[in-house]
Amino acid sequence: MKFNAKTFAAFIFSSFLMISSFSSASAERMTRAVADWTGGMVTCEVAEQILEQELGYKIDSIVFPSGTGLWEAIADGSDIQFGCESWPSYAEADDVMINMPLKYDGKVVKEYSGDGSIEAYTTGIIGSSDYFVPKYFVDANPDFKDWTDLNKYKDQFATPETGSKGRLIGCAVAGWNCHDQKRLDLLGIDFEAVELGTEVAALAEAQAAYARKEPFLLYFWTPHWFQGAFEMVGVNLPANVDCPTYTEAENWKDCGTDAWPATGWAKDYTMNYMNPAVFAKPENAAAKAFFSKMKLSNDDQAIMINEIDKNGRDIVEVVQEWKDNNKDQWINWLP
Amino acid sequence: MTFLNNTINKVSNSSYYRFLLPILIFVAFALSIYLSIQSEEKSVFPELATDAFTFTAWINAGEDYLKDHYKWITRLVASYVKLGYYGFEDFLLDSSWLFVAALMIIPAFMVGGLKLAILFTFGIYFWGAVDMWEPAMESMALMSLSVLLSVIVGVFFGVLSSQSDRFESFLKPFLDTMQVMPAFVYLIPAMFFFGIGAAPAILATMIYSMPPIIRLTNLGIRQVPNETIETAVSFGSSKTQTLFKIQIPLALPSIMMGVNQTIMMALALIVLATFIGAQGLGAEIWIAIRKLDVGFAMEGGLCVLFMAIMLDRFSKALSAETKTLPSESQKFHLLPQDWDIYPMAKIFEKPLDIIHSIIEMTFKIVVGLVAYLSNKIVSIINADYGETISRFLNNHFYFFSGILILYSISLYDSIGPGIGQFPESWALSIREPIQSSVQWLTINPTFIAFTKGIRYYVTIYLMRPLDTYLTFMPWWYVMSAFVIISWISVGVRFAAVTALLLLFIAACNIWTQAMITLSSVMIAVFFCFIIGVPIGILASYSKRFQSINEVILDAMQTLPYFCYLIPVLMFFGGGVVSALIATIIYSIPPIIRLTVLGLSQVSVTYSEVSKSFGGTTLQTLGKIKFPLAVPSLVMGFNQTVMMAFAMQIVTPLIGGKGLGKEVFAGLARSDTGRALAAGIGICLLAIIIDRISLAYTKKQRDALGL
Repeated sequence: MKFNAKTFAAFIFSSFLMISSFSSASAERMTRAVADWTGGMVTCEVAEQILEQELGYKIDSIVFPSGTGLWEAIADGSDIQFGCESWPSYAEADDVMINMPLKYDGKVVKEYSGDGSIEAYTTGIIGSSDYFVPKYFVDANPDFKDWTDLNKYKDQFATPETGSKGRLIGCAVAGWNCHDQKRLDLLGIDFEAVELGTEVAALAEAQAAYARKEPFLLYFWTPHWFQGAFEMVGVNLPANVDCPTYTEAENWKDCGTDAWPATGWAKDYTMNYMNPAVFAKPENAAAKAFFSKMKLSNDDQAIMINEIDKNGRDIVEVVQEWKDNNKDQWINWLP
Repeated sequence: MTFLNNTINKVSNSSYYRFLLPILIFVAFALSIYLSIQSEEKSVFPELATDAFTFTAWINAGEDYLKDHYKWITRLVASYVKLGYYGFEDFLLDSSWLFVAALMIIPAFMVGGLKLAILFTFGIYFWGAVDMWEPAMESMALMSLSVLLSVIVGVFFGVLSSQSDRFESFLKPFLDTMQVMPAFVYLIPAMFFFGIGAAPAILATMIYSMPPIIRLTNLGIRQVPNETIETAVSFGSSKTQTLFKIQIPLALPSIMMGVNQTIMMALALIVLATFIGAQGLGAEIWIAIRKLDVGFAMEGGLCVLFMAIMLDRFSKALSAETKTLPSESQKFHLLPQDWDIYPMAKIFEKPLDIIHSIIEMTFKIVVGLVAYLSNKIVSIINADYGETISRFLNNHFYFFSGILILYSISLYDSIGPGIGQFPESWALSIREPIQSSVQWLTINPTFIAFTKGIRYYVTIYLMRPLDTYLTFMPWWYVMSAFVIISWISVGVRFAAVTALLLLFIAACNIWTQAMITLSSVMIAVFFCFIIGVPIGILASYSKRFQSINEVILDAMQTLPYFCYLIPVLMFFGGGVVSALIATIIYSIPPIIRLTVLGLSQVSVTYSEVSKSFGGTTLQTLGKIKFPLAVPSLVMGFNQTVMMAFAMQIVTPLIGGKGLGKEVFAGLARSDTGRALAAGIGICLLAIIIDRISLAYTKKQRDALGL
């Protein structure tokens, strides 16, 4: 190969690219992942507007389905630097990648001892999960009080696939570690949990059943847009009690009917999560301080979710309106 | 071995064979049912072997090693690709929409005439009208770059493999795997190496869409007649000269066909690439689906569909040969040419022809003027050059008038009042009607009773028994059945390969999932067959039905499956039945297409002869046409099986089970090894069945003397 000016230029150019690709995460420009559910979008939009309008950052967004790969991409840090509103019960990666206590209101709510490739702070949104039935079912069957009555009505919940048992539209993704079937068995509920693979699939089936006014039992969580659009009633599973031996390492040894997974879920202190190296830079100290203070309330988020999903308004507009009217809240989140 | 072969040959030649074979099959089947019933639990491979064969761990270790040591190389590649992508995307997004539209419509007009230009105009209008201009441009940029790179790399490998038989056979298994391997399996690892967004999306798309261009380039070059090459050699051409001056130009039609297929496949993957952060139409569809907004998703899906049809027709028109018409017949611009027997069509086409000629004349005059002027100017320096330039301009008057139009648009945009956004008053929305019709069907009692009936019968009488039968049957029995079938239909070597491949699946401890996948595919293909073949027969008899049918089949193959997964699920409830229906929708087109092809290819003489001997239409079909169409049918069956396997990776999104679900479970835990093992499992099953049915087609063809 002749070593002429062209190859030399190409060489210079590629080494420049190489260096720039390593350092692209610098400056006050950051990229966030757009969550693919409305609640997450709202939380992220709130963060983005405050970072941009009050703290002078420039935030780009990338649509990125939650779950696989997102945590790894943030840990890598060159393309995405932070993501919003992860739910600890469902995040697979949090135990592996976070190495710090998660604090809410100054109190430690969860200890992590992962490899420290991700840093996380609570968003203020507290999620709760349960099994739900539609309100019209409860109205039609006033005897139905809570989960203990499910067996009485199981015929109404049966489908061709489940035979004589009732059908629970369970946790959609195995990775969420819901252990639905185990819970049903332990609690003696004669239902079969189906795992539909994606949240969309579970909600689509629920929505169709709701439109037909059929009874259905659905696992889901609040705050969620589904809650605003459809009237659902929780079955009040027993309060959460931890079972230390119910892990893969201990070969899923259960603690009987008094503890997880025979109970409901723990409260989910949702978190914003980010790349530690990027946020350790002095120019990003303001952003880091903001995230450690942010505390959006469930009620505020629910109002915004409703505006967006029920009234079909634009998310940027809705969040801007909230921000203009609630200065007394977010002023406390600034560094 | 030879002894065994001889025995097989002897047996197959003897007259006992006719009776013996059905009996043997029956006995084997009865035995399998007995074995399946009397086994207590699902068949599992000995733990000793599965524990020793830690394929997943090896893959994960390998991935980590590569990530730690060679990531900088992949990142460098990615940064170049990204640079190209952003350049292209910025160009498309920064140019005014009218400029981009003209940039696409003018070539369409040049290549495909008025018909293609109208199609392009409509498609482009649709992108703007449903407010998806930007995502459409992003997808367009993503796609153009991946197709461009695929073609460059693909032609290179195609030419290489056409030059060496050894290289060709070395490449073949890789190409097979690239086509059947579920894209999800490498999408996520691609992200670790190439970052997120456009770069890994383009590279993953290349993996998926390159095989057709490599194969067809290779095929095209190999099909160049020997005489032509010998002539070239005898005139003193070197090997390189023969290749570049004779073989590649002659192989161009075949290469163009490969480009066409590459475009189609790239488009299918562009939508999936949303999962690694690629922007564009796929992201819009995914967000809409997350909100269960079927109407919105369908609009996005239609944008993709139009893009696919436009590019498909364009690349086909590019490679089609221009037919010269008999001088007395009128040239048709919009209607099919064979309609020129109808006077109405002629009246309809007349004004179009006049408009066409007027446009052509204007172009010619304008370019002629420019040519004349440049001739005069250049002639001052050199008269010969002026003459040449003028002739060149006049010969390419379409091209240069196109450039003139583009130039004046951008001039108007920058100096004049500007063009701005796509006019809002042109907006069009079909999401409401789609959404409400889905809603209407969801609550329609008759329809739901019908879907529930299907759901009940299919689950209880088909899926459950077959699943149980296959998963409870001992693994060694299934394995030997496969091995014997491949021995008889392909040969000893392939039988050994089959045994190895199946052992791999068993050793990865995914035997049960593999059997469930096999059962889902079998049921889906069964339904495709009983629905598809009658439709194909109908279409082969009625031209009008066939033309409607073609459009629907095109739509089924190119509409992103996200769009119909959710409605299917709303009607049929989540789970294996929805998965089955989605699989049927996706994989039925080939069997219909090839039934039509097979039946209409049977030479007219055969049917004439049959008719003259007094055969009814039904007899002719059953006794003459159908048997002769068998090779084509098996081909269709083969493609349907391949597509059904490919769909197994998507159906877990709505409750499907088997290996596909295993892939998702692996990915959800960032366990590439586990996902890869399951993905390979799907590939291996697909490859085994593909080889067997191809060998069967070949035998049938030989027997029929085709």
